[in-house]
Amino acid sequence: MQGEHWEPAGNGLGTMKENTMARLYYGVWNGLVLDNRGRSAASDPFSEFERFGDFNEGNPIRAFFGDLGFLVFDPKVSLVDAFWRYLDEAAKQSCGRCTPCRMGTVLVRDSLDRLRKGMVPQLDFEGIRALAQQMTETSLCGLGQTCAKALLGALDHFRDRLEAEVATLRVPEQNGMTYMTAPCIQACPSKINVPRYIDYIRDGKPEHSLGVILQKYPMAATCGRVCVRFCEMACRRNLVDQAVSIKTLKRYVADHQKGKRELRFNEDLIAHPLPEDMRVAVVGAGPAGVSCAYHLLLRGYHVDILEAGGTAGGMAAIGIPAYRLPKDVLKSETDIITALGGRFLFKQALGREYSVDDLFQRGYKAVFLALGCQQGTRLGVKDEDPTLAGYEAGIGFLLKVHDHIAGIKITRLSGEVVVVGGGNVAMDCVRSALRMGAEKVHLVYRRTREDMPADEEEIKAAEEEGAIFHFLSNPAAVKSEDGRVIGLELVKMRSTDADAQGRRNVQAIPGTEHFMPCTTLIAAIGQQVQSGVIQSGDGVTMNRWNCVDAQPINLMTSRPGVFAGGDCASGPSTLIHAMANGLQAARSIDDWIQLGQVRFSPRVRMRRILNEHKMLNSDCVDIPVKLEYRVHHPELDPEVRKYMFEEVERTISPEEAYHEAKRCMRCYRIYSVITEHPIPEGAS
Amino acid sequence: MNSYTVEPSALIKASINGQAVTAEANETILSCARRHQIHIPTLCEMQDIDHAPGTCRVCLVEIHMPGREQPQTVTSCNTPVHDGMEIQTRTPRIREMQRLQVELLLADHNQDCATCVRHGNCELQDVCQFVGLQSNRFFDPVRVASRKVDRTSPALIRDMTKCIRCQRCVALCRDGQGVDALVITGTGQDTAVGLHYGPSQKDSTCVTCGQCVLVCPTGALGARDETDAALDMLYDPEIITVFQFAPAVRVGFGEEFGMPPGSNVEGEIISALRQMGADIVLDTNFAADVVIMEESTELLRHLSANRRPTFTSCCPAWINFAERHYPDILPLLSSTKSPQQCLGKIAKTYLPERMGLDPARIRVISIMPCTAKKDERVRGQLAENGVPEVDLVLTTREFARLLKRQGINLATLEKSTFDNPYMTNYSGAGAIFGTTGGVMEAAVRTMYKTVTGKELDQMELTQLRGFEGIRSATVQVGDLEVKVAMCHGLKSAREIVEAVRAGTVDFDFIEIMACPGGCVDGGGTLRSKKAYRPFAAKRRETMFAIDRNAKIRQSHNNPQVKALYENFLEHPYSEKAHHLLHTYYTDRHINMVRTVKEIWNEITMSTMVY
Repeated sequence: MQGEHWEPAGNGLGTMKENTMARLYYGVWNGLVLDNRGRSAASDPFSEFERFGDFNEGNPIRAFFGDLGFLVFDPKVSLVDAFWRYLDEAAKQSCGRCTPCRMGTVLVRDSLDRLRKGMVPQLDFEGIRALAQQMTETSLCGLGQTCAKALLGALDHFRDRLEAEVATLRVPEQNGMTYMTAPCIQACPSKINVPRYIDYIRDGKPEHSLGVILQKYPMAATCGRVCVRFCEMACRRNLVDQAVSIKTLKRYVADHQKGKRELRFNEDLIAHPLPEDMRVAVVGAGPAGVSCAYHLLLRGYHVDILEAGGTAGGMAAIGIPAYRLPKDVLKSETDIITALGGRFLFKQALGREYSVDDLFQRGYKAVFLALGCQQGTRLGVKDEDPTLAGYEAGIGFLLKVHDHIAGIKITRLSGEVVVVGGGNVAMDCVRSALRMGAEKVHLVYRRTREDMPADEEEIKAAEEEGAIFHFLSNPAAVKSEDGRVIGLELVKMRSTDADAQGRRNVQAIPGTEHFMPCTTLIAAIGQQVQSGVIQSGDGVTMNRWNCVDAQPINLMTSRPGVFAGGDCASGPSTLIHAMANGLQAARSIDDWIQLGQVRFSPRVRMRRILNEHKMLNSDCVDIPVKLEYRVHHPELDPEVRKYMFEEVERTISPEEAYHEAKRCMRCYRIYSVITEHPIPEGAS
Repeated sequence: MNSYTVEPSALIKASINGQAVTAEANETILSCARRHQIHIPTLCEMQDIDHAPGTCRVCLVEIHMPGREQPQTVTSCNTPVHDGMEIQTRTPRIREMQRLQVELLLADHNQDCATCVRHGNCELQDVCQFVGLQSNRFFDPVRVASRKVDRTSPALIRDMTKCIRCQRCVALCRDGQGVDALVITGTGQDTAVGLHYGPSQKDSTCVTCGQCVLVCPTGALGARDETDAALDMLYDPEIITVFQFAPAVRVGFGEEFGMPPGSNVEGEIISALRQMGADIVLDTNFAADVVIMEESTELLRHLSANRRPTFTSCCPAWINFAERHYPDILPLLSSTKSPQQCLGKIAKTYLPERMGLDPARIRVISIMPCTAKKDERVRGQLAENGVPEVDLVLTTREFARLLKRQGINLATLEKSTFDNPYMTNYSGAGAIFGTTGGVMEAAVRTMYKTVTGKELDQMELTQLRGFEGIRSATVQVGDLEVKVAMCHGLKSAREIVEAVRAGTVDFDFIEIMACPGGCVDGGGTLRSKKAYRPFAAKRRETMFAIDRNAKIRQSHNNPQVKALYENFLEHPYSEKAHHLLHTYYTDRHINMVRTVKEIWNEITMSTMVY
């Protein structure tokens, strides 16, 4: 996995105090007043503060403003100007539904604006305070509830400072940036504005909701079916009852805008088409490649996607069974590339038909490697031989499932099937095997059910459909006869005591070896980049996990002009990570072609600061909230569905969607920095 | 399906203003307070339609949770009562915050109250008084000027300068009626109610049923006021004013003048019209009987031609709905004009012939419980050589305003009776047109006679009555088994239309009324504050009583209807009747296909990538 990670946040103040107290001039944070004014500069070891140091190189952060307060590091910072900037962002972002935020942000902003310009404001500091209090206490959502907190702190504890500032005729203009986010946005690898697209559902405009998603990636209906939902893990509604069913809402809007309400893609969407020679090659038509191509096309480039196989979609096509993601749904979304003027070139395998050099020779200005990780990792046990009949690697098996459904090649299973692994691929293998005629399907996993990395819903569905689970069991040897798998030797495992990180390990219990017969063994414990795709002459180095070595964030490889993302750079990961990489790669490639270098991204930097200081903490919901049930997909009966490959889950109804959308608490937060110099513009 | 269910637990004990109260699990403070007769000011919330969006933030209370040092301020509409919670509704601080909230609400609210149709009947004015508003520091006319007013529709005016963003109309249009014409648009100060599809109210998926008007707390939504046009006609000596009023008007009008809800004020209305100087007062009920003659004949013809099903056509919002949302079913609609239009047409042809009047001097003015009737009046196919059948439509609300402008208090008037011998008699069948199932019941009474030659013994078809959104029955008409369905509310209409198109239902005759309950609670009826259709049952009862007490209870036995056919139209569905009393419909669907480019241009507050 590349890029940033959502880390569950702690209190926030702990880390802040350690790192900031020393250099802090004054501020208020989470109710704590910090005031180092009047101390002699010589005795204050300001220089030791590291993390709040520079925003970008040579551009120190002078002050920081957030939902819990503000921190000033430079005595010359103007609070009035800084709060005007902050409230200006709040007023711009106010959704306007509730009274205090809609009017309060505007009235406070306008008064601060007049104050900083040396004019007579409509509201004096006391009037501003009353509105700030009203917004904080009575606003409907997180934005209004938090956007005046820092200001309140300043008004209550540093009024002298504010009054001194306005006593001078005009306060100086300052540099900096503001950034609005929410726990769900921050947790999403693609940084989708989740509350915004939920708002649009609530407003009655599902097409606009889909529009918000499409700004980040083209595969909305796909993501709405198979995303692992980092957003829902971060959702603050968890603290009330259950997370908002964000994925389900995404699927609702994507499915709703079909047929007579279809949202049309066409080439006039491309505002500034570039000359013919501005061509980029994307290698691999999986989620990362498609997403990168989409964003490059929208930026005006001419994009060819070279795909080794015969269909677009990559792992989403071959790795996700049709009962979870119907093929036509995926195809309608990969077709967007063609609608935008992009080309798919199928049966074009890197390392076989062409090399990276060839691509540059064909005139492509840059190359994005989105090769995927399609070679199954072996179990590494005695007598394991992938050439045995009845031995399958997880991904290889799902490929067969794909061909089976597509009618290309029918695969029938019989007897008992054992799947080894605990992830979503293992679950997909289990559920597919049930549908392909297996008498019994066993899942063997070396840890406990709670440790399984697969989605809970997937595990439950497999259980309902009749899979037999063997936890704390591990293969010790593969048994075969006449070149056919006949079974496995299993050994029982037990949990060890928790280690320092709190994670329990497992170890084999000697003497518990036993035989489990099977006709098919599916090893679904992991994948890696196909060998032979990247060759030494390509000038692209691989890392020790046999993945393409790409820099975090900008995704540059060891070869200039070649970028890599998705599973081939990160190892097997999620659809949403792959699509996020695709967007990131498009930005980097655009910069690289136009400027010869990849630019600094202020928004990425801002997110780093928030992560490092564990902002957006979601430890409590202060006020009682009315409980509302979380919507669920209507599902087909397990007894019926276990024999079919049609989609198991159905789209929710509009009524359910509105109800679910109303559960969102809109936990928006605004953060702002004041810097010494202007912040350079980054890639859009 | 609901994975989250609230545990049924013992009652929650809390206190409000020191008084011990009990609440159910997950019950809001507001609901609990109401049960205990404790008033909390509210504005956006509307219990009758289960609407609590929490946008106005006026219903503030102070809560003190056990184990917490400081009290908290919360909105009572969406905060549940917790065990041991101490709730205060009237502390000085809470009153001050409520006051400030309302002051903020007024910052961009058009405060020209004297010119507003809701003056004196406005929920916002009430709230201002309740919170004791004393100042209005933030009001800025510039902000009001930037808000939009849509006057394009002949029926409805959407005046955003008076919108308080309660979203009741959006909820009603989408969840209540299933029309989904209204959406929330814009952000921040620009937040308003807009149209989902189409450039203006006139050219949108709105069907002008006007149910949104009934829930609007202020004057933001309303019918186009045409009382002045009525006065122009009344005081023009060249004009012969012909008034008609709909079946539902007489049962839903008295309360405006302090009379009990459900009073039948037919006689008082006739007196009032005469006092205002109306030249001729006719009854739409008469035309309802005519419609039954035409429609039942039409239906029997359809049945013999195996054309099924036939939808009724007297409701103009339903016609709009079919033309805007389901143009493919238009061939299934009865071609019979609505009672309003039939009356207008007959009043400009048959009536002048009988009375020796110059038809060019006649102006037909309708009083309707309906906003869509204003829309219907201006339909091109309902005019001949530029002469409309109906010249003016006043909603029940406008009629009340007109009386007040004329200094007439309905409650003090003596009852009068109709005196026109041509177009005022009505049967019980015509009288029940204004409630769901009424048209069907009236039609069955006449069809029975037509098919069997005998009168129906059991006149009141209770199997057709009821309040469910969709009801169905099989009626034995002689040898004929007629499968009928009655729908009220457009959500139910959508459901049945979808089912008809999918072929999953089998009906001969489907009655549709766009407004829930039928015309008695039409979009043009009197508004109630903080209540949606509070008098539905009473109005219906009165309407059925009119039928029960009627001497004649079948349309075909109405002597004036008989005379109309004998002397003018010959027989139902005659060529002349066809020319005068039947119409056609056109595909007016609104394009719902949008491009990503258009949508992206409209998206705000998202990271615009392109």
